[in-house]
This record gives sequence, C-alpha cells and structure tokens, in this order.
Amino acid sequence: MGALLTVDDLRVDIATPRGTLRAVRGLTFSVNAGETLCIVGESGCGKSMTSLALMDLLPRVAKRSAATLNFADTDLSDRRKARRIRGNQMAMIFQEPMTALNPAFPIGDQLTEAYLHHKGGSRAAARARAVEMLDLVGIGSPAERLGQYPHQLSGGLRQRVMIAMALMTDPKLLIADEPTTALDVTIQAQILRLLRDLQQKLGIAVIFITHDLGLVSRIADRVMVMYAGAMVEEGTAAQIFGAPRHPYTQALIECIPQPGRTARGTPLGTIPGVVPSLVGQIEGCVFRSRCPLARRECESHVPTRGAEGHRWVCVDDAPAPALEGTTR
Amino acid sequence: MLIYILKRLGLAVLVALCVSVLAFALLRVQGNAASALAGEGASAEDIAIIIRTHGLDRPVVVQYLTWLANVLQGDLGTSYFFKRPVAELIVSKIGNTVILAIMSLAIALTLAVPLGVLAAVYSGSWIDRICSGISLLGQALPSFFLALCLVMLFAIHLRLLPASGAQTWQHFILPAVTLGYYITPPFMRLVRAGMIDALSNDYVRTARAKGIPSHKVVLKHALRNALVPVVGLVTVQLGLLIGGSVVIESIFALDGLGYLAYQSIGYRDFPVLQAVVLLLSLVYVVLTLLSDVVNAWLDPRLRVS
Repeated sequence: MGALLTVDDLRVDIATPRGTLRAVRGLTFSVNAGETLCIVGESGCGKSMTSLALMDLLPRVAKRSAATLNFADTDLSDRRKARRIRGNQMAMIFQEPMTALNPAFPIGDQLTEAYLHHKGGSRAAARARAVEMLDLVGIGSPAERLGQYPHQLSGGLRQRVMIAMALMTDPKLLIADEPTTALDVTIQAQILRLLRDLQQKLGIAVIFITHDLGLVSRIADRVMVMYAGAMVEEGTAAQIFGAPRHPYTQALIECIPQPGRTARGTPLGTIPGVVPSLVGQIEGCVFRSRCPLARRECESHVPTRGAEGHRWVCVDDAPAPALEGTTR
Repeated sequence: MLIYILKRLGLAVLVALCVSVLAFALLRVQGNAASALAGEGASAEDIAIIIRTHGLDRPVVVQYLTWLANVLQGDLGTSYFFKRPVAELIVSKIGNTVILAIMSLAIALTLAVPLGVLAAVYSGSWIDRICSGISLLGQALPSFFLALCLVMLFAIHLRLLPASGAQTWQHFILPAVTLGYYITPPFMRLVRAGMIDALSNDYVRTARAKGIPSHKVVLKHALRNALVPVVGLVTVQLGLLIGGSVVIESIFALDGLGYLAYQSIGYRDFPVLQAVVLLLSLVYVVLTLLSDVVNAWLDPRLRVS
C-alpha cells in the first residue's frame, strides 16, 4: 500500500514575547492507507499541534511550514485544495466531546452539514446517511436522535456522535486527538473498541494522538514517539514495545503500570527532570537534559538511525539495557 | 421559583405605589393647583368653585386615595390644555412612540450586529478599531446634535425627508436613525464580546474541521450563540426608548408620548405630565420585573437569592 499522507519537515512556530516557540521541529512521517499510526508523547510535546497543522486548524498566532505536505496526491499547503479535502477525505475528532458540539443546533443539523457541503445532494439523503452513521457507531433509535440537542446526550454518546459526524463523508483518514481522555474508563474502552472496529470495517487510516501508551499497545499498527516537538523514535507497535531503542521510549514504557507486574504500593514510574524550553533552537538531542545516558556527543548533531521501518534519533546505535529499572 | 416571583412582584407593587405618590405630589407641589386650573385673571369665586368641584379642600390623604382609585379605573383626569380626558390623549399618542421605538431598535440592531461581528472576527486589528470607533461615536455624540445635523443635511439641504411631524412613515426615518444610532454602542459591545467568546469555543473548531466555509462558521455557529444575551438587552432598551425619547420627539415634533410630555411641561398641563410620568415609570417597573423572571428562568442559581 502506498502512503496516503506524506509529511516532510513539518514545522509549527508560535511567536511569543520571549521569542519564537518551536512547537513542532521538523517532523517527517507518513501514513499508509488503512493503517493506524499512534503519535505518543507527554503534554506539550507537539502532538496536538501536529494534528491541528495537518487540518490547517492552528490558532492564528501559529505559523505552519513544511517541505512536503501531501494527502493522496494533493498538496495540502495549497489552502484552496486543502479546503476540499478537510472534513471530506480527512476528518478529525477531538478530546472534549462536551464542548465540541454546538449547543444551539440539533445534532441532525450538525451531522448533515459537512455532507451537504462536500457531497451535495438532498437534505433527505443526508439525513438518511446520518441515521446510517449513528447506527454504525452504535447509537440506538438513530432517527429520533437527529432532533436532539447536545445537552440531552451523555459524554460517551456525544463522542459517538462526533465519530459519526467524522464518518459522514466517508473519509480516507481520521485524525483522533486524544478522543478518550475526557471520558471515564468504561466509556473509554467502548469508544476505543468502536474506533478499532470501524477502522477494520471501513479500512480507513487513523492518526491516533494520545499520551497513554497503554492505549497505544491496543490499537496501533505503527507508533511515533514525540518529545519536545520532535520525533525521537518510530516503528511498528511490535518494535516499539518489544525492542525500544531510544532511552525516552524505554523510560516511557517503564512508566506504564502493569497488573500483576507492578507491585502494589510502589510509586508509579516517572522520568526525572523537566521538558526543555521550546523557545529557540535546541542543539543536539532534545532529550539529553533528562537522559541517564547523556554524554558529550549528545550536544552536537544526533543522527537518525535504523532502516525505514524502525527509526530512532540517538547517538547510540545499540539498545541500552542498562536503563532498565533506573527510572523507578 | 414561585416564591421568587411573588417576592419580585411584591417589590414591584411597592415601587409602583411610591411612583404613584410622587406622581400625585407633582400636581400639588407646583403651587396653588386651583389658581393654576382657573388660569390667569380668574376671580376669587371662580377659584372657590374649582376648589370645591375638584375636592381640593379635603385632606391630602383622601385626595390621594380618590385619585389612586380613579387611576386604577383608567380615569387619569382631564387635560387643562387639550380639554380632553388624559387617558384618551395617551392612547392616541402611544402608537407613534411605539413605532419610533421599534424602528430605532431595528436600526440599532442592523448596525450593531454586523459591526460587532466584524470587530470580533478581526479583534485587535484596524477593522476592530474602526468598528468600535463608529459605535463609540454614537455614544459620545449628543443625540440632539446628531438630530440637528441630520435635519440640516436631509431635510434642509437635500430636501429628501420631512424635518418634523408624524404624518407618514418618512417622518419617522430621521428620528429613528438618531435614536437607533444613539443606542447602538451597548448592542455592538455585547455582540463583539459574545462573538469573541463564541469563536474561541471548541464547536467553532469542530465546524472548521468539517470544512465549512469561514463565513458560515462565523454567521451560523458562532453568531447564534452570541445573540442570546442580546435578546435580554432588547427588553431593557425598549423600555428606555419608550421613556427616553422626549428629546428626539420634541426636536422632530413627532406626536408621541415624549412630545406630549414636553408640551405638557410647556403648558403647565399637570394632569397630562402626571399621567406620562406614571405610565413611563410603570413601563420600567414591569420590564424590570419581566427581566428578573426571565433571568431566573435562564439561570437557576438566581432563584435562591
């Protein structure tokens, strides 16, 4: 399968009084048709900025640039062309289902809006499609739901409506920005299962953005780990979880509590130190201020290692088993 | 909720009673009512007759209660100048005032909503400053001054519109524009603030993510939510317009309540003045009560206090 989305050297710069904040620092990746790419990283690592940049939804103060930004042979840097793709072949769902729907309009209206705009056709056809999609995401008596307002729905139902809304135009790529973070645990599991089922049934590609590595292991085909606006490691889920190469990835995986393995009462794992300031350039490795293996070479240019399938950015080519256990 | 409404109602009745006492006193404090009624050059016998027929020799409290009972039955007395029942006079004038109020409000909204939306969408830019400037000018410019400027331009120089009277709809245009522009600023500020708030909401981002064109995102998704508080301001401003158009109605000799009040001051026509004051105060009392009830309905937290 060829790449559906190709991103080369994506940058997001935000002008602040203290200087230019580089939220995304030259990100290069691709998404193949039908696969799930998880972008993981802690708060402020630029994962949400990346998704907003792809959708051209960045706040006005943020500037986007990229060497390549291609979606199915369309250049997304061309805003006129991108407008026909956005909300049509490329859809997005957000973190906060409670506020992402407009309180002033019934959900039927909001569901059919993008469909009518991109696909045209009659209102009746759009409503029929909306009923079909609500049914697909597991909402009971969908026809009656069309007349309801968002405040009449629970958080889980609203996220289902958001997913149905994104699927209305039969997109090839769905960007999900922390779609389960705001939901309680049981609903989280349901929504996650729903997304996985839909992905398999419809064969759409998904970019799933999360800080929760536990979720990643359940849905990802490929994983990209981000730190301080840059990619530190990328590979298949098996490579990332089975043989992580970058010290940051290793530390993150160490931090996941596991039933049966993590002893009761022990403190949860943390990575010591704080994320470096994103204002200005960072010379060398972005993680070196918190890396237990940091040394002199880390301060100058750090090469990207590995083959196409599994890439990581580190001075060390070999895995670092010594790190195990040091973060507890 | 019911207790809250009853409390507010009780308060409103008290305020109305106070207003009625003040309105009643208005007729008594202006000196000798009987000699005012009789007019200049009346004889002592004439005045004595008037005192007796109008019950002016009875205690003030009795006079007040009699007057109040009459008012409650719709009898507001007889105009000294027009020689007609005051109630009839008011009914014949109130139509013009209401038309003027509604036209002004319509003009204010057609000005304020686009200006507020533009200012919010381009907030902080020169477009915002121009829009805010236009509205600020409306607040800073005395309405009588604007009225005179408009009369000079459209009535005297261009001869497009009549300068005074209330015979045709054209007579309403200049006064309505003056009043409408005068009340634009509060609406504009409210629309601007509401839009800035609405545009920062997640549902606006959702609408953009769907690929909906910007103008539709702004005018449909954001504006609909920003207009909710504007509806509240409409009721307040409507009361202000019905009561506060004395100056404008006088300048344009537009035959409404305000003009009637102005005339009655000039002719010392106290029964009319009394009735207008009473009526306008009651409009306020009723509108305040109404907005209290609507607010309580909108915001449950208000019902407790």
